[in-house]
Amino acid sequence: MDFDKQLKLQAYLDGELPEGERRAVESSLAQDAEAAALLAEFRHTNAALGTFESELKLPESREFFWSKIERELRRQEVVPRRETQLSWLWWVGWRRFLVPVGAVAALALLLVSLRTNHPGGGTGSGIVATFADDKAFTYRDQTQGTTLVWLSYAADDKSKEGASEEAIQD
Amino acid sequence: MNTTIFPGSRLLGTAVAALFLLGAIPVARAGELKLEAQLIWGTNDKMSPNPKHKPVEPDIEKRLKGLPFKWSNYFEVNRKRFKLAPGESRRERMSEECEIIVKRVGNDQLEVTLLGKGTQVGKITQALPKKELLLLGGNAPNFTAWFVALRQVE
Repeated sequence: MDFDKQLKLQAYLDGELPEGERRAVESSLAQDAEAAALLAEFRHTNAALGTFESELKLPESREFFWSKIERELRRQEVVPRRETQLSWLWWVGWRRFLVPVGAVAALALLLVSLRTNHPGGGTGSGIVATFADDKAFTYRDQTQGTTLVWLSYAADDKSKEGASEEAIQD
Repeated sequence: MNTTIFPGSRLLGTAVAALFLLGAIPVARAGELKLEAQLIWGTNDKMSPNPKHKPVEPDIEKRLKGLPFKWSNYFEVNRKRFKLAPGESRRERMSEECEIIVKRVGNDQLEVTLLGKGTQVGKITQALPKKELLLLGGNAPNFTAWFVALRQVE
């Protein structure tokens, strides 16, 4: 039996196959003794392992869980900022220019921050969040101007039925 | 008698005066905010089981796909539009058991409270300028997700 078929059997056992493929596997099992034996072995192994440790339930979807790891890896890949050392003589030479420019820049920043807190314009977003659960967190995408508040509050099975507008339930 | 003025000081003085003049220009007082709240379902399914659901509009889809999620499709489940004057509060039902309360806090902040089955789940206060999007989200069964998106509209 080739490796792909073994994987498909494992996926069948885990309930991961779409309806069409699931039926195909079921019909092939009736004629393929080797596949049936392997499936039985998989079931036996699953049952044996199931007694050793309980299933770990993640507080979030597996996609989001892995995306957080990916995000953290990317964050760690950021090159550390180069440290620039200014000599005292260099500073003396340029301070006549830098002091007033720095003051102007600081004032400009202050003014801009005061004005962009207005809801009609700007991108400022001083965020204050309080949550009923301690697993909630906020994520800010500065480039797109999007703030995400991710809550551990999960919709229930009724929402998955999806046939109505109850996609958000407790 | 000639007086030598430090050139940086002259520049600084001019800039400070200009900035204070700019700052003195009154910012137009905000009137009503026109807001839109959407209930969104994120999934990897290509179609929603509910024919009434439609794919979210491109701008929101782009923002959602810019987030660290891997759902490939987002469907709009419900949408509400409303106006808020400063100090005003509005309660909107997004689904049978999900509600939001949006309140203008002062003149420039929104306080958004999410309710599930009538119980407060979370509250966030932030400015919501035009083109800014606030998303509240969480898990739904079978590795799908729900979102409530709030933004200003024209």
